[in-house]
Amino acid sequence: MAIQERLATGRGKYTPGYPDLDTGPVSYEDSISEEFFQAEREAIFKRTWLKVGRVEQLPRNGTFFTRELVGLGSIVITRHTDGQVYALHNICAHRGNKVVWQEHPTNETQGTARQFACKYHGWRYGLDGKCSYVTKRDEFFESLPDDQLAMPQLRCEVFAGFIFVNFSTDAPPLREFLGEKLTAELESWPFEKFTNHWSFRTKVKGNWKIGIDALLEWYHPAYVHGRFLNTNVAEAEKLVPPMDSYHYDLFTPHMLTSVPGPPVLKKKTGSVGPAARDMNWAYRLFRAGLFGPDDIRTDLGHLTDDRNPGGIRAWSNDQYWLFPNLSIQLWGRGYYITYQYIPETVGTHAYEVDIYFPEPRTASERLAQELVVDSTIEFAMQDTNTVEATWSQLNNRALQTFHLSDMELMIRQFHKVVRDAVAAHQAGSEK
Amino acid sequence: MTTTATGLLPEPFRALEPWVTDWALATREERYQKRLSKTIDELQAFYDAIAPLAEDAIAYLDTRDVHALSDQDTRLLHLLYSMIMTSYPVNIFKQPRIPDSGAAYFDTAVEPAL
Repeated sequence: MAIQERLATGRGKYTPGYPDLDTGPVSYEDSISEEFFQAEREAIFKRTWLKVGRVEQLPRNGTFFTRELVGLGSIVITRHTDGQVYALHNICAHRGNKVVWQEHPTNETQGTARQFACKYHGWRYGLDGKCSYVTKRDEFFESLPDDQLAMPQLRCEVFAGFIFVNFSTDAPPLREFLGEKLTAELESWPFEKFTNHWSFRTKVKGNWKIGIDALLEWYHPAYVHGRFLNTNVAEAEKLVPPMDSYHYDLFTPHMLTSVPGPPVLKKKTGSVGPAARDMNWAYRLFRAGLFGPDDIRTDLGHLTDDRNPGGIRAWSNDQYWLFPNLSIQLWGRGYYITYQYIPETVGTHAYEVDIYFPEPRTASERLAQELVVDSTIEFAMQDTNTVEATWSQLNNRALQTFHLSDMELMIRQFHKVVRDAVAAHQAGSEK
Repeated sequence: MTTTATGLLPEPFRALEPWVTDWALATREERYQKRLSKTIDELQAFYDAIAPLAEDAIAYLDTRDVHALSDQDTRLLHLLYSMIMTSYPVNIFKQPRIPDSGAAYFDTAVEPAL
């Protein structure tokens, strides 16, 4: 039976189940207005928890890495001698020079240090930011507040191994912001076992929200990615699960969608048969594809009752959207992916895709990982180009209202949550 | 395809030695650059050469400790990575670039040592 019939639930439309969402045409002014972009930075990015890395990037006391967050600042994430993770504004208390950088001051860097020394006049700082030594101290005056000199700390909290920072001092704690559902369902995934890591980065010419929109719906795969499925669009359409087979949960400001996928191959017994210029043959050879390896490891403890909270058929992965700009995808076949969209200007963002597998035990496990990673990136490149093609046209304002189907309810919700956050901040009534 | 040395690969896979110079590449970035530098005919020639040996090569490598591979075995593994790198162009795209990907390019910031 075809996947369309096999997975259909007949549940009807999703959007009407969310009384806060209407079904009318939408405006993308929130994605092209310079004024809105500035307001969004103030209302959201300067006061919301933002993921900046993972604890595996700080394996020992004395390790650090920097992040260059355009419009927000350069920050240093460290593991101090007390074992704690700190986030510091990357600025010298003397005359404001950027303290931690290598070769090029706008490039991110990483390493190990007992302390940081400013390249300008040699002031030194512990990895908790406290100034430990002022060169030529005697030449300064009594006004120098030795005990208070520091690279200022900003709020930094770790959740499930993800390091978050917050540029605001009055935002609620991270776990409160994430809420019970996210904390429970994400913490039951054993992230620490997924250390075989690929990281891909690019800059995209488009508003960050338009980038996110491309991963918020399951309408596009048969068209943007159709040739991966079948060169005949009508056939490709039949290979994408029906719209009512997904699970959505819009728990403002965060979101979840659970996604169905194909069954795994039967356990390998004989030969895959003669070599062929056929991707299905290559998938069978390497026992992997876009939806993961076909030999699922049972030693990871990742398939807990928290997976597939909506109980969909043929479940493949849970895609959590952590407001404002992070997706964490937990894949049943034993890996996870994060997608993050970091705005730089109203029309550009940094796009980061990180894929995490367990350490492979055999060459065939490693090769299956390679095929999954390669497939993921081939798809992502097509998505990225579509984002650029879309944003350039939105920005021309030849049309000013657009149309979202029921399949695109997460786009409707996401833009509403952003607009509501900006409005609340501007009204001075943010919760 | 100027390689004439022997002993670059484990004995059962010596027939692939002419491909070592171009395709036994340690990083994804190098493999992707190589893919973009080739014509689809060249990608097909490599794919057609390695595909018939790939199942045996995987089985052979699975008899080894993947975390302590010899140089020969590592080259064979890298050739299989390159087979994966060329498989979408050969089997689906019919061109080295991803169709409709324009100028899109992902930098590989981190990848496993192996």
